[in-house]
Amino acid sequence: MRISKLSLAVLALVISASAVQAQTNNASITATAAVQTPINVVGAQQLNFGNVFPGVNKTVAATDLTNAGRFDVTGQASTPVTLSFTLPATLSSGANTMPIDTYTGISALNSAQTGGVAFNPVTGATPTLSGTGALFVWIGARVTPATNQAQGTYTANVTMTVVY
Amino acid sequence: MKPLTSLVIGMALLVATVPPVLGAQGKPLNVTGMHNLTFGAVFPGVPRVISRTDPANAGQYDVGYSKFAPIQITFALPAVMNGPAGATMPLVFGANDGGYSSPETITSQVGFDPRVAFATTLDKNGRAAVFLGGTAQPLASQRAGNYTATITMTVTVLP
Repeated sequence: MRISKLSLAVLALVISASAVQAQTNNASITATAAVQTPINVVGAQQLNFGNVFPGVNKTVAATDLTNAGRFDVTGQASTPVTLSFTLPATLSSGANTMPIDTYTGISALNSAQTGGVAFNPVTGATPTLSGTGALFVWIGARVTPATNQAQGTYTANVTMTVVY
Repeated sequence: MKPLTSLVIGMALLVATVPPVLGAQGKPLNVTGMHNLTFGAVFPGVPRVISRTDPANAGQYDVGYSKFAPIQITFALPAVMNGPAGATMPLVFGANDGGYSSPETITSQVGFDPRVAFATTLDKNGRAAVFLGGTAQPLASQRAGNYTATITMTVTVLP
């Protein structure tokens, strides 16, 4: 009789253990991502109008490798990017201002501007980085000094933003 | 005393032969990871969203058990993916990133919030597929490289 009681107890334990064990199971998967090279932008050369005379407009073309403004971009090879610009309407010298307009742009995959593609900086551009992840961007513009333009050094910032 | 010892050993052997996870109808509760949640190429500063209905990239688990069994699904969802040199990338799951499919097809899902427990009932076949989407949120300064995280789904049979 003692054996029978013990058997039942063991059997109950077995059933209980099996029932609990049957209640749950799990599995795992993996989330994966490959983060590409971050974009880096450098202002490589100033947009330089040099000497400007009152009443005489002056234009620096985007093709002017000496005076056009230049940005150098690096990032993930062979990947399209979007360029956008903040373009000032005036240059400043203290309280004096001088209009700047008629912006032009060229992007190329090399610093010699070979194979460059013209674009309008006002609307931006969507070029593709080179096979080594490089891009060069030039900006030209025109200044229109007034006939009574005050003498001085006039400056403003041109900002280019690059995103994938 | 000897018969008692034999009986206890006999019961112990019986326990050892019982499959570890059995349903009311003797079927095992199977949960299998079928497909990874794949974000692919991700660019710094640009969130990458994978829909649970994306056949190429959504995560997928399969569940098999007894027909009409009530079950509860829960996830262990990581907040980040781990990358090179200890770098991490935020990983976010939304209220509609879980998908439950009795016919086991990605085109026929019932959406649910994977962040909270989801209770349902298996169909007459006792099978289902569970799909998972999500969003990788790389920082603008996110370090380049491969990132991974483990996502575990647990299925509990409800009484």
